[in-house]
Amino acid sequence: MSETVQAGDHKASVDGDQPRVGVFVCRCGGNISDIVDVDAVARRLSDVRGVVCATTHQFFCSDPGQALIEQSIKEHNLDRVVVAACSPSLHEITFRRAVARAGLNQYLFEHANIREQVSWVITDKSAATDKAERLVRAAVARTRRLAPLQKRRIHIRPSVLVIGGGVAGLTAARDLAARGIHVTLIESSPFLGGRLAQLHRIFPTGQRARDVVTPLIEEVASNPNIVIHTNAELERASGFIGDFHTVVRIMPRGVSEACTNPQEVIDSCPEETVDGFNLGLAKRKAIYMPYAGCYPPVPAIDWRSCTKCGACFEAAAGKGIDLDEKPREVMIAAGAIVIAAGLNTYAPRHGEYGYGQFQEVVTLAQLNRMLDPTGPTAGKLTVNGRSVRRVGFMHCVGSLQHEGIHKPMRDGRINQYCSRVCCTTTMHAAEEIKDRFPGVQVYDFHEDIRTYGRRHESYYDHVCQQGVAFIRFDPLRPPTVEADTKGEFPLVVKTTDRLTFGEELEVPLDLLVLATGLVARDMSKLVDLYRCSVGADRFLLEVHPKLRPVELAAFGLFLAGSVQGPMDIAESTAAAAAAASKASALIKAGQIELDPFVARVDEHHCSGCKVCLYVCPFTAIERNDSTKTARVNEALCTGCGTCVASCPCNAIQQQGFEDSQVESELMALLAGKPPAEELLAAV
Amino acid sequence: MTKIKSYYDGLVLGAGIAGMQAALDLAGQGFEVLLVDREPSIGGVMVGLNKVFPTLDCSSCICTPRMAEAAHSERIKLLTYTELIAARKQDQGFAVKLRKKPRYVVEEDCIGCSKCELACNYYTGHDFDCGLGARPAIYIPHGNAIPQVPVLDPDSCMFDGNCARVCPTNCIDFTQQAEEIEVTAGAIIVATGLKLSAMDAKKEYGGHEYPNVMNPLAMERVQSSNGPYGHILRPSDGKIPHSIAYVQCAGSRDKSIGVPYCSRVCCMYALKQAIMIRHQLHDAEVTIYHMDIRAFGKGYEQFYRRAVAEGVKVVKAKVARISEVENQDLNLRVELIDEGGRVADIRHDLVVLSLGTMPGWRPGGALPIEIDEDGFITIPEMATRPANSSVDGIFVAGVATGPKDIPDAIVEAGAAAMEAAMYLDRTRSHEAVPA
Repeated sequence: MSETVQAGDHKASVDGDQPRVGVFVCRCGGNISDIVDVDAVARRLSDVRGVVCATTHQFFCSDPGQALIEQSIKEHNLDRVVVAACSPSLHEITFRRAVARAGLNQYLFEHANIREQVSWVITDKSAATDKAERLVRAAVARTRRLAPLQKRRIHIRPSVLVIGGGVAGLTAARDLAARGIHVTLIESSPFLGGRLAQLHRIFPTGQRARDVVTPLIEEVASNPNIVIHTNAELERASGFIGDFHTVVRIMPRGVSEACTNPQEVIDSCPEETVDGFNLGLAKRKAIYMPYAGCYPPVPAIDWRSCTKCGACFEAAAGKGIDLDEKPREVMIAAGAIVIAAGLNTYAPRHGEYGYGQFQEVVTLAQLNRMLDPTGPTAGKLTVNGRSVRRVGFMHCVGSLQHEGIHKPMRDGRINQYCSRVCCTTTMHAAEEIKDRFPGVQVYDFHEDIRTYGRRHESYYDHVCQQGVAFIRFDPLRPPTVEADTKGEFPLVVKTTDRLTFGEELEVPLDLLVLATGLVARDMSKLVDLYRCSVGADRFLLEVHPKLRPVELAAFGLFLAGSVQGPMDIAESTAAAAAAASKASALIKAGQIELDPFVARVDEHHCSGCKVCLYVCPFTAIERNDSTKTARVNEALCTGCGTCVASCPCNAIQQQGFEDSQVESELMALLAGKPPAEELLAAV
Repeated sequence: MTKIKSYYDGLVLGAGIAGMQAALDLAGQGFEVLLVDREPSIGGVMVGLNKVFPTLDCSSCICTPRMAEAAHSERIKLLTYTELIAARKQDQGFAVKLRKKPRYVVEEDCIGCSKCELACNYYTGHDFDCGLGARPAIYIPHGNAIPQVPVLDPDSCMFDGNCARVCPTNCIDFTQQAEEIEVTAGAIIVATGLKLSAMDAKKEYGGHEYPNVMNPLAMERVQSSNGPYGHILRPSDGKIPHSIAYVQCAGSRDKSIGVPYCSRVCCMYALKQAIMIRHQLHDAEVTIYHMDIRAFGKGYEQFYRRAVAEGVKVVKAKVARISEVENQDLNLRVELIDEGGRVADIRHDLVVLSLGTMPGWRPGGALPIEIDEDGFITIPEMATRPANSSVDGIFVAGVATGPKDIPDAIVEAGAAAMEAAMYLDRTRSHEAVPA
């Protein structure tokens, strides 16, 4: 399994003060050893000054691999360790821990990447072996200069900020509060419930969405551990894991609980505007509540349509109405932040499948409102006052887009991704139409049917039995929608059907429903304030889909639900609980230890020029007025090194990356007579 | 090795990726966890996979750190080769009865030196390599196994005592008996994972009789650099295959075999394996015959398009029958949807059946929870409490509630841990916890 090369001759010649380095070269189960001759690397390294042992193993990350490192440290009395393996982003922590278990300071360890940087990118075995050797030699040279370091310990404030009042945010808040953790929940709109409140029924349980969201909101609203701010917009943020400070701006609601007759007040308003909750299918007043039973049960004023005529003030007899209410700022201190900002549905372009051109073309979200008995059409399937005889569903509108066929979004990118929920939502809606309106004929235009989830396939199966006609189009030649010139129906969809081997079809319809995809919201403020990573799909990007699926790269920030990508309700709930679990573990621990790679100012060399204060992107450097020198706030310093590079006096060093350490690493990399290209590449 | 205590806050059944993650998340919140697996090593199905979609990370690289973390955690006690007999709810949590199967090796004394393995003369198909490679009758399950303790398989052992004679710690015990262990657990998390649908479920595919019709997990092992061959070879004659077919929905979306649901991962694992074949065998043709390509997850559609761009052929067609022809090649009778429904006979030299996902364990009477008609554990409030079973205090993570990919299983494990933590807060009276 493993081969240890004893560097016997050198062992004797190394005196007591010389570092004793152990080198461990991983095969990575062939990932490395198929290309790199790892035994040769170990053999060659055993001749390097200070190297006491050089060993290989199938998987150093495995339990026996780690045990071998620990055992070697003890056996050879090592005080420096180099592991040559995969990327340090995968296993640096694993090996640091192994080193620490053997009683050695974990920062006397160096990780050389000979997989991603060598075996995965070089096919020539001898060149790969040489490069691997060079990288390991450089790591050895560097380790010889390392000094033991101690982790920074940071206290965690026992409270969490949850951003977003949809199903994910509500679930995360409920779960954290249940564990006795103080939660502040902020929601940018005037009401809680998010997209879930707008849905009609949810799959796979078939429950009314209202029956799910209302008890959830009640649980959150009645929990004394949770403070809720609606109409709250992110304003400023500072701080770091354990001690985030977020300032939110509470926009004026215009109405308070003191208003005792909300319905009369709403009825009194003379201004009507488009009802956003019903997705433009109805009108509402400028002072409004989106639906009966909403939370908070207090109307809000839509300032864009309010004329401040005072009718509501009179109807309320002055109680609880304030037309001149001003925004106010609230500072929220939290040890961790759960981001549950949700997503948007894709807004079809004017003319995309006839959207905007024909009133008979609606989105799936709009159909959901129409099917809701408490919705704008009172649950009737009518368009322009005419009841619907034939309805069509068009899949993948705004999803699975192709270059050259679909116009890019505003950022110049198309939506390649699958929106995950639209297929099952469509099947669910088709089933309900067939159940409630048996005479209606349903046509389904799709590229693929992706009813992947638990019990999702049974919807597909059931609507097939109910007689829904499935028409499969070629994604590179999507269907077209035109006015039906023959007159009986307003629309006609023209397409080629792959299921009938390329038959050209014309399907006249009363209503065409676009199964619009899901898109990320504009989160520029949030991304900016908390320095979030964003993926090519514009959703927030987790650190790793399997290793850290609900975490952002910056410590203390957790992702809950569809802010990360399309998810259905069950998936959002699970993701929110998972995020709550991570946040709760952090809060319950009360403190966290961070790597000590921070900048250190040598006061004797600092001239007090303040250049570092200006260049630090994290405002982590202060000036000590009495000594007139710079000082680093270790809790804020991320170890980016900008100050180190910009200090004209060379008075700042970064722990773990000191000049002497980096220089010896470079010298070893460039040792011998490397060709000019390689020199350039290394520099 | 520490002794088993009489009380644990959480009992996690199944130490695959979901079970390990649930145990780690529960331990991370300060609870003591007993992590039990019926196999001799933790790691579940994932540790046997080659690469994982859509990032093409090596599966071991994701899974083994989790295994090591679970093994190193001060709050997690591992119990391998152990089955649940029964768990009953009582006033103080659940009374749990477990059965530790005999390894015929004293775990506490074994140092994992492998000498017994090397001394053994009796070989059989290696379970970890789906029977393709060989293993001795006493063997450490695989290179990444935790614990690194061998297990003796009495069915292939001849009891000649060679292993016992070479063992430096004298830890081989042919008389070892199964051991019953009783503990009390505050809450239970079921993460019992999956098994694949049967190779012979569809007789017309010949999975049970033709050696070159492969199971996808065996293909994972064949593609792995630490697999049975180290290269992609076909099982019947060790020939490098040139034309490989994937038959999608070979164990899912098919009422005739009792698996009406979508298994959720087969499209993606077929695409991934196809990409890996093309990486290793540059001139091999890979064709995926499918009904729909369900690339629904984050980055999945992009992965599908990448596979097509890299030359994987994705053909909309249902395979009707597979028959063996000369050289043990295979003839696939298919209806080509995009060629006017033409029925064609297409020859391949290796076929992989994209089998479906079925529950890996059925509780029977061992746990008082409800089960759906398809064998997955009933989740009464699936939309709002996706990790809660029909019994308060028993939570579920991963494939035990339905087919799932690795990211979704990991996230759900976090949810199960959170639910268990909340339940323990609600029910656990700290004074009453037995030591």
